[in-house]
Amino acid sequence: MDRRRILQGGAALALLAPFSGRLAFADSRDETLRVLADSAPNSQDPHGAGVSRASLAVFFNVYDRLINFGRSEVQPGLYRYDYSRFEGELAESFEERDDGRTLIFHLRKDATFHDGSLVTAEDARWSLERGVSLPASKNQLATGSLKDATQFTVVDPHTLRITFERRDRLTLPNLALSFASILNSTLAKKNATESDPWATDWVRNNAAGGGAYKIETWNPSQQVVYAAFDDWKSGPRPFIRRAIVQIVPAAESRAATLLKGDADVALALPPRDLDTLSHDSRAHVISLPVTNAFRFIAFNSKAKPFDDVRVRQAIAYALPYRDLLQASVFGHANPLFAAASATPKDASFPQPYPYDTDLDKAKALIAEAGLAGGFETTFSSNVSDATQADPIALLVQESLAKIGVKVTIDKVPEAQWGTQLTQRKIPFYTDSSSAWFNAPDYFFRIFFQGDWRWNFGNFDDPELNALVNAARWESDPAKYDAAIRKAIVLVFDKLPLLPLWLPSYEAALRPGLNDFTYYIHGQVDFRSLKRG
Amino acid sequence: MNASLPRFLVSRVLAAAPILVGAVIVTFVIMRVLPGDPAALLAAGPGSGPAEIAALKHQMGLDQPILEQLARYGREVVVGDLGRSFTTGNPVTTDLGARLPASLELTGAALLLAALIGLPLGIGAALRPGSLLDQTSRALAALGTALPAFVTGLGFIYLFYFRLGWAPEPIGQIDSLLTPPHAYTGLMLIDSLLARDGEAFLSALGRLMLPAATMALFALAPLIRITRGALIETLSADYIRAARALGLERRTIVVHYALSNAATPILAALGMVFSYMLGANVLVEKVFAWPGVSAYAVDALMSADYAPVQGFVLTVAALFTGVNLAVDILQGLVNPQIVNGG
Repeated sequence: MDRRRILQGGAALALLAPFSGRLAFADSRDETLRVLADSAPNSQDPHGAGVSRASLAVFFNVYDRLINFGRSEVQPGLYRYDYSRFEGELAESFEERDDGRTLIFHLRKDATFHDGSLVTAEDARWSLERGVSLPASKNQLATGSLKDATQFTVVDPHTLRITFERRDRLTLPNLALSFASILNSTLAKKNATESDPWATDWVRNNAAGGGAYKIETWNPSQQVVYAAFDDWKSGPRPFIRRAIVQIVPAAESRAATLLKGDADVALALPPRDLDTLSHDSRAHVISLPVTNAFRFIAFNSKAKPFDDVRVRQAIAYALPYRDLLQASVFGHANPLFAAASATPKDASFPQPYPYDTDLDKAKALIAEAGLAGGFETTFSSNVSDATQADPIALLVQESLAKIGVKVTIDKVPEAQWGTQLTQRKIPFYTDSSSAWFNAPDYFFRIFFQGDWRWNFGNFDDPELNALVNAARWESDPAKYDAAIRKAIVLVFDKLPLLPLWLPSYEAALRPGLNDFTYYIHGQVDFRSLKRG
Repeated sequence: MNASLPRFLVSRVLAAAPILVGAVIVTFVIMRVLPGDPAALLAAGPGSGPAEIAALKHQMGLDQPILEQLARYGREVVVGDLGRSFTTGNPVTTDLGARLPASLELTGAALLLAALIGLPLGIGAALRPGSLLDQTSRALAALGTALPAFVTGLGFIYLFYFRLGWAPEPIGQIDSLLTPPHAYTGLMLIDSLLARDGEAFLSALGRLMLPAATMALFALAPLIRITRGALIETLSADYIRAARALGLERRTIVVHYALSNAATPILAALGMVFSYMLGANVLVEKVFAWPGVSAYAVDALMSADYAPVQGFVLTVAALFTGVNLAVDILQGLVNPQIVNGG
C-alpha cells in the first residue's frame, strides 16, 4: 500500500466526517448537553435493589424530593452543595414543631408529574412508605429516624406531616437523598401486582417521576437521553433542554472527544489525563474537594500481627505520604496525614491524622511489638481500582521493606473483593469509600462499628461505641463536639484504618459550560448548567 | 447438489447439540466455582450487613445446591429464558438481542475488509513467492499479529479523528444526536437503508470504519497466511503439474484448478476467524464504545453477574456451530467429496 492509497482512504473517511453530528446539532446545540461517562445506570427506581452508582444521576434529574440541599458558589461559575442548608423542592416551605418531633411540609399546589397528574401529599406519603419498606432504601432512611409508615400523615392534599420520637439531625439530610424521591403513586400502583405491591419490576424501567427531566431514550448500557419537562415547577426553568449521557469505556476516547469539542462533559478521567487537560485551553477541568469520601489503608485489627496497635502505628510512621499522594492521584486530593498536633483541630471528620514519615519511630514501635526481625504480610487491592491502588501498593511494599516488613502484593478481582472484605480474609489493603453524610458520628458508625464490610478495620472498641452513641442524640453542640473530639483522639491513636486523603471530584468540561453544581451524589445535575 | 446433503445437515445439527449442552454446563459450573459472590457485590450500600447479603442470596436462588440451580437454569434455557442481568437490570435475552447485531455488523464488516485485502494479497504472494508483494503481505500479517487491537484502535482514533478530523468521534454505532433508524434487523447499516435514511446510513458507515479497520488488521494475518499456504500447496500438486504439462493457460490453471481446490481451507479459515472475532473483540468494543456482546460479557464477568456470561457463551457457541455448519455446506458446494464422505 503506498502513500497515495492511504491518503485516498483517508479522504473517503473524510467525506463521512461532516455527518458526525453537526446537522442535528443545528436546532439547539447550545441547549443540548452531551456527557461522556464510564459507567452505566441500571435502574430508574430510587428504591431499587442493586442499583449502580451512575443510577443516582437518573434519580436526581428525573425525580423531585420534598427538599434539596442548598448550594453556594465556591468559585465563579462553580457551586457546591451546602450540607447544612435546605431548600424546598416539591415542598414550597417546611417547618419544625414540637422540638423537632414534627415536620410539616407544604407542597406546591401546581406541581405535576410527567404524566400531567397533580403531585399530592398522598404521593409523598406513599413514596416515603415505599422507601421505608423496600430493603434497598430502608436502612439508609432509618439513619434519619424515617422508619415506619405510621410516621407519615396526609393533613390535606398539599400538606404532609412526619412525626418522630425525638428530634434527629439526620432527618432533613436523608429527605434530600434519592431514597426520599417522590414517585407518582397512582401510576406506580396501576403497575403493581399481588406479589410486587410496590411495582419494583415496573418502576425499574419506567420512571414514575415529576422531576426536571423526562427519560426520552433508556438504553442504559449505551446511552440515556433526557428531555426537559416543560411543566416542571420546583425550580427555575433549566437552560439545558436535552441531555445525552453516553457510556464510553475508554478514557482516551472520552478525553479526545471532549478536546475536539464534540462533547460537553467527560467524567471519570484518570488523574494523569486530568493533569494534561488542565493545561489545555480546549477543556476546563473542575476540581472540588469531596468531604464525605476518603482513600485509606486498612488493617484487620483483630488478626495477627495487626491486632497490635504498635504494628499499625509503625506502619503509619513508615509510609511515604507525599510520594503516595503524587503517584496515586497526581497530588489532586486533600491530605489526611501530617497533622501538626495529636489534638484534633476541630470536631470534623475525616481530618488529618498526626502521622508522618519517621522510620526511626517506626522501627522502634516494631521492636516494641516484639517483631524486630520483621514479618511477612500481603497487601491487597481491588483490580478495578488499579489506577490509584497499584502505585500505592508498590510504594507500601518498598517503604515497609525498610522496617523489615516483607510485603507481597495481591490484586483481587472486583467480583471477589466484596466477599473477601466481608469475610475478613484480607489483613492489609487499600480502598476508598464514602458515606452519604459528613456528620462525624454518622461517619464513625459506618466505618468504625458493626459487622459489615464498611467497618474496614474490623474494629470494635467499647469506649468508641459509647462516645459515638452518646453523640448520636446529643442536642447540645458543645457536648456533641466534646464527645466527637474524644472519639477522634481515640481513632488517631488506635488506628483501625489509616486515612490517606480526601479525593477531589474532578470533571472536564467544555469551556463555556458554567454553573456546574457538585451535589452530595457526585453526578451531573443538568438543572443548574448554563452556557456562556 | 445431491441427495446426501440433507442427511449431512441433520447429522451436523445433531452433532452440535452436545456442544451446546456442554457449553451450558461448563460455563455454569465455572461461574459458580470461581470465587466471588454476586450478592456481596450487589448489597453495596452502607447498611447492608451479612443479613441483607443472605436475604439477597436467597432471593437470587444462590443458597440452593448447585445441581438444583443447574437444573432450574436448564429448564429455563429450554424455554428461551436466559435469566436476568443484575448489572443492566434487563433480561439477558433482551440485552443479547440488542447487542448481538452490533457485534455481527462490526465483525462482518471487518471480515469483509480483511478478505478484500487479505485474499488478493495471499493469492499474489502465492503466485510470486519471494517477490516484493510477498514480502509486503508478510510484513502486514506480522504487523497485524504483533499490534494489540487497542493500540491500533487508539492509534487510528488519534490519527484519523483527533489529528486529521477525517473520522467521526469513536463513540458507538451512530451519531447520538440522530434518531437511530427503526430496528428491523438491528444491523444499523441495513436498518438505515430500509428506513431510507441516508444521513443515518452515512453516520453509521463512518463510525464503522475505524473499528472495522482495527479488527480487520488483526484478521489479516491468518487470512493471508492460509491463502498463501493453501494456494502454494495446490500449485505444487500433481494435477496442476499435469495441467501445466498439457499446456493449459496459466489463468485457467490458477482460477479453475488451483483456487477452487484451495478454497476449502480458505473458507474454513474465514469461518474460524469470524467466529473467533465475534467473541474476542472486547478491546475493540471498549475502545470504540461499541455496544457489542463481548464487552457485555466481560463487564458481567467482572461483577460476577452469572446470567449474562452464561447466555453469552451459549450464544457464541450456537453461532460458532452455525458458522461451522455454513462453512461445511459451502465447502460441500465447492468440493462435493466432503458431503459424500469421500
